[in-house]
Amino acid sequence: MVRLKPRRLIDFLKRLAKKPPGAIGLTILLTLGIIAIFAPYISPYNPWERVGTPFEPPNPKHLLGTNDVGQDILSEIIWASRISLTIGFLSALISALVGTFLGVIAGYFRGLLDRLITSITDIMLLIPSLPLMIVLAAFLGRCIFIIIFVIVITSWPSVCRMIRAQTLSISSLQYIEAAKAIGAGSGRILLKYIIPQILPLTMAVSILGTGEAMIAEAALSFLGLGDPLAKSWGTIIYWAFVSGGFTYGAWWWFVPPGALIALSVFGFMNLGYALEEELNPKLKQQQ
Amino acid sequence: MASFLSFVIKSLVHKFIIFFIVITLIFLIPRLAPGTPIDYLVENPRVPPEVRIELIKKFGLDKPIFPDQYINFLYNFFVRLDLGYSFTYQEPVLKVVSERLVWTLILMGSAIVISIPVGILIGLLLAWRRGSSTGYVLTSLILLARSFPVFWIGMVLLLIFSFYLKIAPSGGALTPGAVYTNIFSYLEDVLRHLALPLITISSVFIPRYVILMRNASLNVLGEDFVWVAKAVGLSSRHILISYVGKNAILPIMTLISIDIGFIAGGAVVTETVFSYPGVGRLIYEAVLNRDYPLILGAFTIIVGVTLIALTIAELLYAIIDPRVRRGET
Repeated sequence: MVRLKPRRLIDFLKRLAKKPPGAIGLTILLTLGIIAIFAPYISPYNPWERVGTPFEPPNPKHLLGTNDVGQDILSEIIWASRISLTIGFLSALISALVGTFLGVIAGYFRGLLDRLITSITDIMLLIPSLPLMIVLAAFLGRCIFIIIFVIVITSWPSVCRMIRAQTLSISSLQYIEAAKAIGAGSGRILLKYIIPQILPLTMAVSILGTGEAMIAEAALSFLGLGDPLAKSWGTIIYWAFVSGGFTYGAWWWFVPPGALIALSVFGFMNLGYALEEELNPKLKQQQ
Repeated sequence: MASFLSFVIKSLVHKFIIFFIVITLIFLIPRLAPGTPIDYLVENPRVPPEVRIELIKKFGLDKPIFPDQYINFLYNFFVRLDLGYSFTYQEPVLKVVSERLVWTLILMGSAIVISIPVGILIGLLLAWRRGSSTGYVLTSLILLARSFPVFWIGMVLLLIFSFYLKIAPSGGALTPGAVYTNIFSYLEDVLRHLALPLITISSVFIPRYVILMRNASLNVLGEDFVWVAKAVGLSSRHILISYVGKNAILPIMTLISIDIGFIAGGAVVTETVFSYPGVGRLIYEAVLNRDYPLILGAFTIIVGVTLIALTIAELLYAIIDPRVRRGET
C-alpha cells in the first residue's frame, strides 16, 4: 500500500520531476496553486470593487485593463483561480471515487450487480455529456455544488469502466485465488489486496480528470449556467462575451482567463501522464 | 451475410433501448426538479391561456405522474411526435428544433470529414518521427492545443479575422437580407460563414485523432511484420501506408464512434460563439429564455442524431473488420 509519509512523498515527487511531463506539470500546477492560495496578498485590487473607468486597456495601473464596470481584470483572474481550480479538482476527485467504488464492486463481485453497473455506464457513455450537463444545470439551478454534481454525473462512468477492467484482471491473479482458497473473506481481500493496487490509479485518474472537469466548468459558465456569485475563469469569459467586451474588441478581458484555463489543463494532463507512467510499470516497459 | 444482418438488427435494437431510456430521463427531469411540472412545461406569460389548457389536457399534467403522465408523454412523443410547446417561439418544440437541425448537420458533418483524414495523416507522421526532437515538440504542441476551451478558440478567431482583419463575418449562417443571383453566390455565402466555426471545431478534433493515431501506429510499429518489411527492403512510405496505417485504423474507428457524442457538445459552444443557427445555439437561447420544453426538445434531437451517427459508425466498423460482426472482439 502506498502510504503518504512526507519523506516518501517528496521522493516520489522528485522521481516525477525527472521526466519532462512530470516537471512541466508540477511547475505549472505549483505556481497556479500558490497564486490561488495567496490570492488576497497578490491581487492588486479587490476584484468586486470599481477601481477604474470601464474598458481601460492594459496600462501600468491596471496590468490587464478593466472590464465593463471598471473592475480590475488581473485581480479578478487571480481570485477566480480559486473557484476554477477547486471546482475542477473536487469534481474530478468525487468522480474518481464514485467510479472506483462502483468499478471495484462490479469487477470483484461480478454477477447481477456487475451487469447492472456495466449497463448504466454503457448508456451514460453514449449520451452526449455537455448537452446532458446543460439540461441538468438548467433545471437544478445555478450554484457551485450543482455544477460539481452535474460534472460528476457525466464523468464517473468512464472511470468506473476502467477501474472495473483493472479489478477484473487483478482478481484473476493467482495470489488472490490462493487467498480465497485459504478462506480469506471478501472484505479482507478487497481491503488488503485489491484496493491498495487500485488507489494509485484512482489518484492518476483524478489528476487527469481535473483538466476535463475544468473545461466542463468553463463551458457551463460560458453558457450562462455558472454560479452568478462566484468568479471563475469561465464566468469572466461569459461576462466578456455577453456584456459587449467582445464587440468592443476588449481582448484583455477574455484572452488571459482562457489562456490560464488551457495552462492548467495542460499542467494536469502532463502530471496525470507522468503519474500513470510512474504507477503503471507495464506502461514503463513499453516505452 | 446473415451474420451481418443480425449485427445490424442488434445494433439498432440496442440504440433504440438507449433512446427510450433517454426519453424517460427527459420525462423525469422536470418532474424531479424543484417545482411542479406545470411550472416548467406550460406556465409562462407568453403562452396563451387556451393553449395552456390544451397542453395540460394533452400531457395530462393534472393527473398523477405515474402511470398517466408517463403514458401520455410516450404516446405524444412516439405516436404524434409532440414534445411540447416552446414559450419563446410559440410553436411546437419539434418544429422549432427540426428547422435548426440542417445547420448543425452541415457544421458537424464537415468537421468530421476534415478532421479525421488530417488527424490520421499527422498522427502517422508523428509516429514515424518518434524520438526526434521535431516529433517531441509537435506532440507537445498538439497536447497544448487540446487544452484550450473550444469557445475561447472561437472567440480568438473571431477577434482576429472578424474584428481586426475584417475578412470574416461576425456570425450567423447567411448574410441577413442578402439576395442571391445564383446557386454559387449562395454557396459562397454559406462557406464564408461556415469557415471559422469549422476551424474551431476541427481544432479540437484533429489533436484527438493525431494522438490516438500516433499511439496506435507506435504499437503496430513494434510488430514483427514491420521489421520483416524493413528487412525485405520496402520503402518507408510503403510500409507506413500499407502496413502501419491499415492496422492502426481500427482503434481510430472506435474513437470516431465515441467522439460523435463530443461533437454535439462542441457544436453547442461553437454555435453559441458564432451565433450559428443550429440546435446547439438553440439550446443556449432556450437556457437564456428559461424555455424549458425547448431545452428538452433540443437535447432529444442532439441525442437522436448522436445515436444515428453512432450506428452508422458501428456499421462501417463492421464492414471494415469482419471480426466485429462475428462478435469476436
